[in-house]
Amino acid sequence: MKKSLVALALCTALVSTSSVAEVDISGFASVVGGKVLSGEGVPEFGLEPTFLANYPIVGFYEEDWSFKPDSKYGLQISADLTEGLSATAQLVGRGADDFNAEFEWAYLSYVLNEHWTLQAGKKRLPLYYYSDFFDVSYAYLWIRPAADNYTWQIFNYNGVNAQFNYQVNDWTVSGNIYTGREDDTENKLLSEFFGSQPIREIWKNILGGVLSLNRDWLDLRFTYMTYQNERYRNGVQVTWDGDDSRRGKFAGVSANVDYNNWVVLTEFNRLTLDGGDFDTYLLSAGYRLGQWTPFVSFADFDSESEMHSTASVGARWDFHSSAAFKVQNDDVTDDGINGQMVAGDSKAITFGIDLVF
Amino acid sequence: MNWLKFVAIPLVLSSAVATAEVAVVVHPSNAASLDQAEISRLFTGRGTTFSNGSKATPLNLAESAPARAEFDSKVLGKSSSQMKAYWSKLVFTGKGTPPKELATDADVKAAVAADASAIGYIDAAAVDASVKVVGKF
Repeated sequence: MKKSLVALALCTALVSTSSVAEVDISGFASVVGGKVLSGEGVPEFGLEPTFLANYPIVGFYEEDWSFKPDSKYGLQISADLTEGLSATAQLVGRGADDFNAEFEWAYLSYVLNEHWTLQAGKKRLPLYYYSDFFDVSYAYLWIRPAADNYTWQIFNYNGVNAQFNYQVNDWTVSGNIYTGREDDTENKLLSEFFGSQPIREIWKNILGGVLSLNRDWLDLRFTYMTYQNERYRNGVQVTWDGDDSRRGKFAGVSANVDYNNWVVLTEFNRLTLDGGDFDTYLLSAGYRLGQWTPFVSFADFDSESEMHSTASVGARWDFHSSAAFKVQNDDVTDDGINGQMVAGDSKAITFGIDLVF
Repeated sequence: MNWLKFVAIPLVLSSAVATAEVAVVVHPSNAASLDQAEISRLFTGRGTTFSNGSKATPLNLAESAPARAEFDSKVLGKSSSQMKAYWSKLVFTGKGTPPKELATDADVKAAVAADASAIGYIDAAAVDASVKVVGKF
């Protein structure tokens, strides 16, 4: 009810200002089906064979065909208020959430000058390479960025962002600096998949930056973010060694090459939290053959006790000017110890269509 | 070596189709010099000004116009699908807005002739004195 009021208010605002503002509507959608071909599950949790395709929203496949875990749609409304000011909102509905649409982005943007733009509002955290366009599957090669990398429970923030773009000789130097917080009153991953009690997850004092260097066929990206974590389980504050908050530090580097028909995509990331390191990496290569791009991919998550990896093989087919068909086989190895298994080993097939409009 | 045929056939087909020349055009009063790298920057949103510092407004052709695919492949070095994927990433993360699209060569020519900041491209055969050619590809 509250959500539809927000939507109604936004639409009314957009409609009533449309005499002065140019309003653009664009969007994206993915319809993906799949199933687990074989898997072990995690007998100690009573978990049947499961392929966890998307950690944050808990999108998972089982042995019966399902078209929900990776399917989603998004609608973006952007109003150009002229003189450098614009307002943008993006509604996203995901199959894993029964397609209930939520405002994933809602921000104001102000172009300061040819190099800098200021933004304020709700945005996606630009942690990993694909984090901020994770939902827009048409924009990347696979059905989804490797689940082993994109495991973190918080993926939005409310705050301010300053982004820049400079040309230095043959290099495009761009990036952003952001700060803010996120208070997720009932975090889906922690409450439903990794536990059975409601968990309120707070990331506050978030401060981060991204630096991208682009030249011809080479794309380098560096990312850093630090935040303070507070957590409430069933309304009771969680403490870590007697402290009611803990600091996490995230750093990552990504190098991508798009040369002739070869595409090589890599990223390496480390989150340091509670004195432990959570390391992730992704290596992927594809080769364009006209409209087809077959690919292979390997992704890994490694910490003291949670360890898993996925080897994938698949293809993207750009059969239409605004849509792509994808098919992918994922082979997950879960080597978690001390009760830190995630979903056990599994092999899964998924296929579907991504589009933008 | 059967796979060689699969590689070779699309290459032969695409080079056979790619014959028409594309002319990049600006307003006749625009004295800026532009090379392929600079044109590419303007049409990918990485640059927003001409070499003399004045504002540039790139104008794209719609996908239905034949010169669009020519321009994407010869000047930007990408297929139209790749460009759409590229812009999707920027549009849905608030990092950029693609150039405005016009339906035909004639529309682009008229828009460029009427705007000193505009830069567009058309089939080279459609060029006339209302616009200035800064590059042919």
